[in-house]
Amino acid sequence: MRQRWPFLIIAFFLFSLTLLASLSVGAKPVPFETVFLTFTSFDTNDYAHAIVWYQRWPRALIAVYVGAVMACAGCVLQGLTRNPLSSPTTLGINSGAAMFVVIASFVFGMNEQAQGYMALAGALFGFFSCLLVVRLVGLSQDPRRLVLILSGALIGMLYLSAANALLLSDPELRSNFLGWLTGNLNHAYAGRLFDYWWIGASALALLFGLARPLTLIVIGEEKAASAGVNVVFVCSLAFMAVAVSAGSAVAICGPLGFVGLIVPHIVRPFVGTSFIFSLPACAVTGATACLLADFVARFAFAPYVVHTGVILDLVGGLVFAWIVKRYYLARNAGSWT
Amino acid sequence: MALEVVEVLAAYGRVTALRGLSARFAPGRLTAIVGPNGCGKSTLLKTIMGFVPVLKGEIWLNGRAIRSMERRALARQVAYLPQQHYSPDYMTLGELIALAGYARYSYFGGPTERDQGLFRDALAAVGLSDLAHRQVNALSGGQKQRAWIALVLAQDAELVLMDEPVNHLDMKYQYATLELVRDLTAKHGKTVVVVLHDLNLAAAFADDVIMLRDGRAVASGPVTDTINRSNVADVFDVDAEVYSRNGRMVCLPRYAPEQSGPA
Repeated sequence: MRQRWPFLIIAFFLFSLTLLASLSVGAKPVPFETVFLTFTSFDTNDYAHAIVWYQRWPRALIAVYVGAVMACAGCVLQGLTRNPLSSPTTLGINSGAAMFVVIASFVFGMNEQAQGYMALAGALFGFFSCLLVVRLVGLSQDPRRLVLILSGALIGMLYLSAANALLLSDPELRSNFLGWLTGNLNHAYAGRLFDYWWIGASALALLFGLARPLTLIVIGEEKAASAGVNVVFVCSLAFMAVAVSAGSAVAICGPLGFVGLIVPHIVRPFVGTSFIFSLPACAVTGATACLLADFVARFAFAPYVVHTGVILDLVGGLVFAWIVKRYYLARNAGSWT
Repeated sequence: MALEVVEVLAAYGRVTALRGLSARFAPGRLTAIVGPNGCGKSTLLKTIMGFVPVLKGEIWLNGRAIRSMERRALARQVAYLPQQHYSPDYMTLGELIALAGYARYSYFGGPTERDQGLFRDALAAVGLSDLAHRQVNALSGGQKQRAWIALVLAQDAELVLMDEPVNHLDMKYQYATLELVRDLTAKHGKTVVVVLHDLNLAAAFADDVIMLRDGRAVASGPVTDTINRSNVADVFDVDAEVYSRNGRMVCLPRYAPEQSGPA
């Protein structure tokens, strides 16, 4: 992979550029200089400083967090399940987390922090229910593991409609969740980022640490075990990290779809399959993708602001169709395994 | 590297696969395991690797019970080529080979100078030195099989277990691949145990052969002493002519269409 380092450098450059742009560009443009001054010498009376510090910076941080976490989660899921369509969205993780948050709020009236921890539990619940369906149907017969994705889609629809049904029950609470449920980057959620960032950070650190054994598992469980990997232990840790970190992202800004599906496909041709490089590349590119989507959401229909989740769903749907065409429908479909 | 399997009983769930199997694998020799479908050939390798639990009996590696060994410690002594493995898109041959040294790396470290040398030697041994930057999926079938053998070689273990390494290869590549396997003992001094489907391939390349049936070893020993008419009949239920030609055992089943119908 000769393009590996150039890709990483360009990806990081683009990331810095998008981050800076998302702080500077907006309904009220703030010059780069003022953006820097906000961080070096914050002036409470300066309106521009306030916009950057209280609105754009938290919003950008949320985008970075969600993008990095979801992209890495998708990358690990696609590798371990050997399925190009795997992602937190398509394996029931996001919808499980969303449903648990809505249940926590509507049924048990829990506060925001408790809702967040319910999201983590819900993410694991969603993932395990997806695996359970797969088990009931029988995965082993299908070399391309379509059953896994179909089960994930089924679980996703089921849990999101359960969440929606609950939303209908309480018109007053509903308005708080309507935007959140489509995936919404909003500076109002900064407090939640402050509460949960350490979850995603430690999950990513764990996944980076497991990069080598995880890559070995991609070439075969028995091969990995014979090379010295404790496959069950490493897989359990990785799946936990993926579900919990994706759950924390859902807790912050709702089930933001498809970053986890798209980004690994962008990254892999440049940096290869090895998680040692694909995980950092996914983290940076995922963050950039989320910042860009947020950019589009803010400007495409100005003066109206669309939810970032809507933009990502639109793009994601198209990419999903492309992946299906490339890996499943084409006459000489790209080999995945 | 002495490997000894003593009266091992092993089962997948409720299906017993090995029924008190005993076998000795002589160090520095190439041993072929042959037998009819479902006789426990692959299971024997998987049991040695600890993928199938041993219910009774013991497997000894240099006087140590294999089940008491930790995965990484075992990987430093035993390399295994499973029947099924995957080559993901966008993985280069060089990256694949570098995975082999995992058991020697520290938890957060990577390959050392010595490891890099081993990887180069492994690729050179299978004649793929020039293709380290090529994607594994862009290799031909025969090259791919050589890549997997290089992976086993790069693990730098004394004992090498291979589960049907020449399946799905045409005749030319079957012989070329088994010549490489032969080199593992002849040139690299490794102890090799290989599961083969074809008795004639086993006869052509192996030093020793172990013939399995119904989870037990029916016959074992040097190829010339073990592959004979009565053993072939006992193990495969086939009446075959077995003769030596140019110092190589050949097994030719008698085929009588009017008696048995098309096989």
